[in-house]
Amino acid sequence: MKIECKDLPYVLRHEEPELLKALEVHTEVCTPCREQFKIWREISLAAGQLRQEWESPGLWPRIHQALAAESQGSKSTRSWSSLMSSWQVPAAVLALILIAISGVWVLLRNSETAPVTDNRVDQRQPLLTEQALRDIESAEAAYIQSIEKLSAVVEPRVQQASSPLLISYREKLMLIDAAISECRANIERNRFNAHLRQELLSVYREKQDTLQQVLREDKHELR
Amino acid sequence: MGLENRLSWGNVLSLEHPTKERRLTGPDDPGAASDLVEGCKFGKISAYEELYRVHGPRMKSIALNLLGNVSDAEDAIQEAFLKIYRSVGNFKGESAFTTWIYRVLVNTCYDLRRKHRRRHETAELDADPAGIHPAREVSDHPLRMTLQKCLAHLHPRNRAVFLLFEVEGFKHREIAEILSIPEGTSKNLLFEAKRELQRMLWESANSARTHAS
Repeated sequence: MKIECKDLPYVLRHEEPELLKALEVHTEVCTPCREQFKIWREISLAAGQLRQEWESPGLWPRIHQALAAESQGSKSTRSWSSLMSSWQVPAAVLALILIAISGVWVLLRNSETAPVTDNRVDQRQPLLTEQALRDIESAEAAYIQSIEKLSAVVEPRVQQASSPLLISYREKLMLIDAAISECRANIERNRFNAHLRQELLSVYREKQDTLQQVLREDKHELR
Repeated sequence: MGLENRLSWGNVLSLEHPTKERRLTGPDDPGAASDLVEGCKFGKISAYEELYRVHGPRMKSIALNLLGNVSDAEDAIQEAFLKIYRSVGNFKGESAFTTWIYRVLVNTCYDLRRKHRRRHETAELDADPAGIHPAREVSDHPLRMTLQKCLAHLHPRNRAVFLLFEVEGFKHREIAEILSIPEGTSKNLLFEAKRELQRMLWESANSARTHAS
């Protein structure tokens, strides 16, 4: 294979061994091509010295910490979502059964009594009376107040936390608080819905458990 | 005496010819690579530690050459590891795991550069080759220093291909996967980069000759 000066760019672009061999033969007789080819190779050789190296003993611990925090965060999100799904599905099934039973019950009552009488029965025996609702609300308020007290003790510690575990607890508590707000907003729209109240209490129960776990972890860390 | 004055074709061409070594540090054993992927997918910290041990030095070099300072380079590597952790589940093995992690790293470096540019629009990294502060100079050869200065003036894509091929020893096939470009484009970009560097070095040498006379 014979190479001419005009082939130089093609050979340098493709750098195929056969072409390079032919170019070397050509550069033995052509000074301009020899100079250009030499510089071309010098650039590659000098580039090898651009490899940067430095000691960074703190880099892996930094990455390790970031990965551990990420892992804790994803675990707490996963456990919270699995917790939600674990109680939401049975709760929904239970609610459906209750609705079905009450529907059947209402239909049976309708078939037995006149509509006017039926209205009166509903007024006399509502599912959740005002008095019952007040009792529930006051009991709930006392329960919630006790959890909020616990929360007031724990939250400053969680806010200042630096360990990955406590940070993940902080994230979990934030999620729980968001769930509480959502439940409360739903209850505001439908105060007589017993299922929503049950849901709110179960979220509070979760908050109580989490706060207690934080306290245990905190004590453990202090030790 | 300025750097440009010290540079002449005499010392450019008398640069020692070290054996060009291909610094492919990735595990060549497909079984080991597969174990590493599985470990990473399971979220095993030990797998990430191994990844850092094997690829960390090369990742550091790429990040520093793309970003220009050690602090940003280390931030980019940390961020790249987090991105790998978050998205390794989506890795389907269409490309090699090693090229995939370098793609994540290069994209992270580009993101970081964009962020910095937005923050300091006046302080262009490209226009400030003196901003490159390696912790350890490999050699103080004038060509290396001039090359480093010239590299800063290359188009980012040409520079990335040049760094990955000539400095880090990747093959065009791997560069194509890392930068999501066709293999032929990688060859063309390398050719353009080297031709541009050659032109800059000629100019630099001519300017040195003029000063000397």
